[in-house]
Amino acid sequence: MANNKKEFNYKLYGIFAVVIVAAALIALTLYAYTSRYTALSPEKTAQLYVDTIVQNGDGYNAYKNSLLSYDKKFGDFIRENYIYPEIYENYKPGESTKGLKGLNDKSLKGENTLNDDGTLQGKVTDKMYPEFVRLITENKGFDNYDLIFKSYISELKKVRKEIFGDDYFDDEAFFKAFEANLLKYGESLTGCEDEFDKNTGVQLKKAVTGSYQTAFGKDYEIKSEAVSSEDAEIPDISEYGIDAEIAEAKTVKVNLTVSGNSVSEDARPLTNGIEITVVRIGHSWYVANKSCDTSALYNIGK
Amino acid sequence: MENEKKKFMKKSEIFTFGIGLFGVALLTGWMPDYTQTFFADFAFKGKGFDSAAISSSISTVFLAAGIIGAVIELITGFLIDNTRTKLGKVKPWIGFGSIPMAIIAMLIFVAPNTNNQTLAIIWMYIVYSLYTAIGCAVERPAECFGALCSPEPSERSSAISIASFMKSVGQSGGMVVVMAVGLIMKSIMGQQQFKNAEAQGLDLIISTAVCALGFIIFVMIFFVNNKERVPFTREKVSLKDAVKVVFTNKNLLMVSLTKLTGFGRGVYGTVSLYIAIYLLGSKDLKLALLLPMGIGTAVGTLLVNFVLKKFSTKQTFIIFCVYGATSLAILYFVATGIGFRSALIIPFLILNFFCGIQHGNTNVTPNIMIADCVDEIEWKTGKRQEGTAYAGYGLFAKIASAFTKALGPWLLYTWSGYLVSTDANVAYAAQSDATLNKFLMIYTIIPAIFVIFQGLPILFYDMVGEKKERITKELMERRAAAENAEPEGAIQTGEEV
Repeated sequence: MANNKKEFNYKLYGIFAVVIVAAALIALTLYAYTSRYTALSPEKTAQLYVDTIVQNGDGYNAYKNSLLSYDKKFGDFIRENYIYPEIYENYKPGESTKGLKGLNDKSLKGENTLNDDGTLQGKVTDKMYPEFVRLITENKGFDNYDLIFKSYISELKKVRKEIFGDDYFDDEAFFKAFEANLLKYGESLTGCEDEFDKNTGVQLKKAVTGSYQTAFGKDYEIKSEAVSSEDAEIPDISEYGIDAEIAEAKTVKVNLTVSGNSVSEDARPLTNGIEITVVRIGHSWYVANKSCDTSALYNIGK
Repeated sequence: MENEKKKFMKKSEIFTFGIGLFGVALLTGWMPDYTQTFFADFAFKGKGFDSAAISSSISTVFLAAGIIGAVIELITGFLIDNTRTKLGKVKPWIGFGSIPMAIIAMLIFVAPNTNNQTLAIIWMYIVYSLYTAIGCAVERPAECFGALCSPEPSERSSAISIASFMKSVGQSGGMVVVMAVGLIMKSIMGQQQFKNAEAQGLDLIISTAVCALGFIIFVMIFFVNNKERVPFTREKVSLKDAVKVVFTNKNLLMVSLTKLTGFGRGVYGTVSLYIAIYLLGSKDLKLALLLPMGIGTAVGTLLVNFVLKKFSTKQTFIIFCVYGATSLAILYFVATGIGFRSALIIPFLILNFFCGIQHGNTNVTPNIMIADCVDEIEWKTGKRQEGTAYAGYGLFAKIASAFTKALGPWLLYTWSGYLVSTDANVAYAAQSDATLNKFLMIYTIIPAIFVIFQGLPILFYDMVGEKKERITKELMERRAAAENAEPEGAIQTGEEV
């Protein structure tokens, strides 16, 4: 007997459900990706570069969007070009460190290094801070990164030896000290609040008034905005030591404004605008940092 | 053969039931932790919001979602028990609820581009509460399906234990997805560009899409292939009946109470980071610490199936409780015997695997017991209430989880005498031997005590042996009689049995 009732078609519904959800997921993922990933836009790439520097005086992390980080992590760029040559004799950037013996050999660790719970490392960090500030101030920022890293590491080796009493040196010694100094430098601009441990109530950090706060008031806000973008001459990529083909280059002008209680107008221009050269390799944009002058960003609030 | 029991399920159905639960767990296992991370670290990055306000809001978002989840849990159970469609009783919930669930899960990771902090917080409340509500309305029916997949208890038990194993694997699936997504992104984008994308939470966004896609595919495989094999009863279940059954059916109450009496089993999770740091020497060993336990849990989930062939559910539960408490006690004594030094690492990790085996029991046996309780309730009242029974158990589990979350930090930060580092350059301060010993107790002895407590209610559980066989037989006779009385098939499963 023929069944006239319409049966629910499970297979058709199953396919419909998978297709509809897959389409929604692809659309939402693409939206999230394009709105968050800055390297797809020359304006966002340039604006992020400037913003990273101006908010915390952090030219170091800004390089993570530059050609220095095109084919490797920025940390590896520093290791290969500045740290490994100090650890291994006759090391050339790009070489493997496998099998090489150098200052990071465990046998060089003295008692102090083996037993340090962080106290001695803290002393090294504190002692390196004036050197960090000197390098940033004298070089007007991070544009001259080559000199900054070389000088800092050279001094760090001496200070570390003095405090730990051995010749041991590794990449961690650099990153711990340098990044802690960078953080403190940032707080000298932005200020920071008292910080207490939530369980014991012990004070972990004392409040500092930053130079930005002194200049613009406690509730200041610095905003960066890419205002124009023009085609630019393709820069010489050979000086970056990378093997890639640049598809196009642009000069993006980024304006900065500040607002806050102590600022007379609502949004006062901070600079005449910073010009950032960006280049496209494949689908991604990178800052051609050697074609940029960011020194004006380190004078803000001073 | 005389003892050969009738098979109701196709072989592929047992597997696809597991696939379905794997899919559900892939998404539900991924969401809470990574949602928290996304809200805290990525959703509004660079917007200049007050991080302390956002952090405290996230806690209340999860608290509110937990309360909403508990309420929706009971409502869903009640609604399931009053669902009678041609597609079945729980399948419509799973089949039609999974589309909005997958999409809302993804929406959580597409934060609005706003500079208004209040708006951002309101969005977090709405989107996560919505996900929790829809999640309950899909996850609970998916678990209930075990009680409906076959009227034959032994066949049902096998299906539930295999599905529970797949579910426990699925719960960790997200960790594999995020790792694989990271590797693929690195190979396509390069190391630093991947780092930049990771800093924006893009790997989490893509991983969520992968988990949600896996969820819908696996759930649809289950939806297409599996059938409800137990006829539903015609009597309407009132809200009063629903609440009453959770608290008055002795056996169901005892199974649910195991969650409450054993709530402290989970405090080991709170201290695992500190065990890795202070006892094993590195916080990186936290994963190494939890991995053997996770593998042990998966092995335990399979092992339970074999034990259940020899012993009743009651005996199996008690055997595993005794085993669990013993293994934890052995771990404690071995660790104190060796001392907190590097020689402890290997024995500690090996014993951790054996401690994990007990968790297989709590993943599987209660689900089988609840299915048996549903039979008993139907036998007594004429009403089949899978929805309410599983929802009641889920409610007790949620309350127990809240107790665990309160007890764990108290034990760790107050009872143990933990000293917090006051030096900005020292991440973790040195602890006294007494504190270290208490860490070990929080990881071993205290959970062991709660494992024993967990087994106590089961001593009063009696849906086993001759009683269970008699109820199963009588229910089958009743269903056959009902089918003969109404040959047009107005009731039943909505699908042929």
